[in-house]
Amino acid sequence: MATEIRMEKLRCAFGQTIAVDDISMTFPAESVTCLLGPSGCGKTTLMRMLAGLQDPTSGEIYFGDQRVTDMTPSERNIGMVFQYPVVYRGTTLFQSVELPLTRDKSVSKEERKRRVEDILEQLNLTHVAHEDVTTLDNATRQKAAVARAVARQPQIILFDEPITNVDVAAKVQLKRALKGLVKQHSQTIIYVTHDQTEAMTLADEIALMDNGKIVQRGKPRDIYNNPNNRFGGWFLGNPGMNFVEHTIVNHDGGQHLGAPLFRQPIPLQAVHGLSNVVVGIRPERVNLGEETPAAVKGVILRSSLVIGGQYLVSLKIGSTMIKAKTTRNDLPPPGESVWVTCPLEDVKLFTPAGERIDMK
Amino acid sequence: MNRARGWRKTAYHVLLWVIALIFFAPILWIIMGAFKTTDGILAVPPQFVFVPTLDNFVDLFNRPNVLRYLGNSILMSSASVGIAIVVAFLAAYAFSRFKPRGTSFLMFMLLSIRMVPAVAVVIPVSLMYSALQWKDTYFGMIMIYAMFSIPFSVWILKGFVDGVSQRYDETALINGGSRWHIIFRVILPQVAPGLVAAFIFNLIFVWNEFLFSLILGGRDTTSIPVSFSTDLYSDGGVDWTFTASMATVYMIPPILSILFFQKYLLVGMTFGTVRGEV
Repeated sequence: MATEIRMEKLRCAFGQTIAVDDISMTFPAESVTCLLGPSGCGKTTLMRMLAGLQDPTSGEIYFGDQRVTDMTPSERNIGMVFQYPVVYRGTTLFQSVELPLTRDKSVSKEERKRRVEDILEQLNLTHVAHEDVTTLDNATRQKAAVARAVARQPQIILFDEPITNVDVAAKVQLKRALKGLVKQHSQTIIYVTHDQTEAMTLADEIALMDNGKIVQRGKPRDIYNNPNNRFGGWFLGNPGMNFVEHTIVNHDGGQHLGAPLFRQPIPLQAVHGLSNVVVGIRPERVNLGEETPAAVKGVILRSSLVIGGQYLVSLKIGSTMIKAKTTRNDLPPPGESVWVTCPLEDVKLFTPAGERIDMK
Repeated sequence: MNRARGWRKTAYHVLLWVIALIFFAPILWIIMGAFKTTDGILAVPPQFVFVPTLDNFVDLFNRPNVLRYLGNSILMSSASVGIAIVVAFLAAYAFSRFKPRGTSFLMFMLLSIRMVPAVAVVIPVSLMYSALQWKDTYFGMIMIYAMFSIPFSVWILKGFVDGVSQRYDETALINGGSRWHIIFRVILPQVAPGLVAAFIFNLIFVWNEFLFSLILGGRDTTSIPVSFSTDLYSDGGVDWTFTASMATVYMIPPILSILFFQKYLLVGMTFGTVRGEV
């Protein structure tokens, strides 16, 4: 039975360093929540507290209605997969997956065998089931670790960057396998990663972490399109959002945005009390080439082909540098000018401190 | 160029063989002696071609105490090292995982016990053993050898346990394993090469130990090294056939151990540090 995870004012400090800072949040049952954030933001510490491997400094953790804050890891009925595959020397892959089940007296020998065989089949591991697990490659070992966590059928499974240490081809394979498992088993899954692509492909919901806090939470596309703050805009996307500081100009009795990104003044609302705002726009939303009434002239500094047939173009508009992504291959060479348009519907405004301003 | 390198390599190998043979010569002499008569052993110039005889071994094993010496050596070395390995493995796990305050200092202290010359320790220990009436008892001998085997074993095994990621412990904790389950079912198999290495190193040390066996031991607990001093002389001279045949028998267990477990000994010499996480 899957269950939701609820945290109340959860905090963990190591001396003066606050790894997790008063998080109150619920991760829904039967869904995949990705804890996404840069290294050192506290996501692994949060995960370890959920697992019972790290004592919180304060706060409470509930699985469903049950308070688990003081429970040992084994009492919490969870599965966990770490960054490095944990397999046991001297066992076959089958035995390595079966081992935790042998300690569960409520599972009969036949049931145990069936569960292990099922999960090995789902992960396409049947052909290596009886091989010494230490002779297998890293990706297969990690699959074995995943199989072991899933075979116990715990209510919650925690993944701590499980595919960081495998090669690119195996990454794709493991990601596909994880997606398949998630669909079939409907457990509550918390998946820690610093890789946004992983989070985007696997998550039902992303919880974006920075400096020990969850700064935004939502569906992957929503978070990508509507970051709550500059951090979200910068961290998601490759490269992240462009941020350009603009001075608010008073024009015709109202507040307006002007240079460097806009040729004509753009009327603004709800920015009272601010003299500056930061304009954010994703590189792929910046249009290049066509002259429009809103377009400004930019000088191409360099252009390079990136994955997916797109060009990543560095531009200078006045003294401002921005990046654009385009599929156009008829752009002028570096040093030449090009028309640059930032469509208003794709522009996000932030306060100088980095908080999002609603443009409506 | 290649030819010069080939010559150099050959010369190097010849040199290695010459050095090895020089070191091996006394061992060869004693082994050959075990198959010679007394006259053959003492012949000048030494005989390299002779008719081998097993009489010395027949005589050796017909002597009243020889089997006891052999049994004592086997019992004391295997029991003391067995105890030492269990204690050392648990200590190594605790030092590695719980990192008690002063771990570095304690580890240094442990190693420094092995640095103390045996003669500096043997007299006070002898007095203590007399007071406790542990002299010439198996218990006393096994304890003293275990005590000497533990520090080095802790050092070897801590390196190995450090090499096993803590994620192993945590995975087992999450899967419902107790601490004993983690130590013996999860970590122990991972550090098995280290256990074998520590066992063999210490076994050889105890097998060869003479001073403590001489001072703390006695009639009941005489080991093979001490038997060389007690049974060396007979009929007013050195009993060369006894010495040669006993030395040959005495060499067999260490040689077999090294032969079968040499890969573990090499791993053990690196204190497990060549193993990365995984």
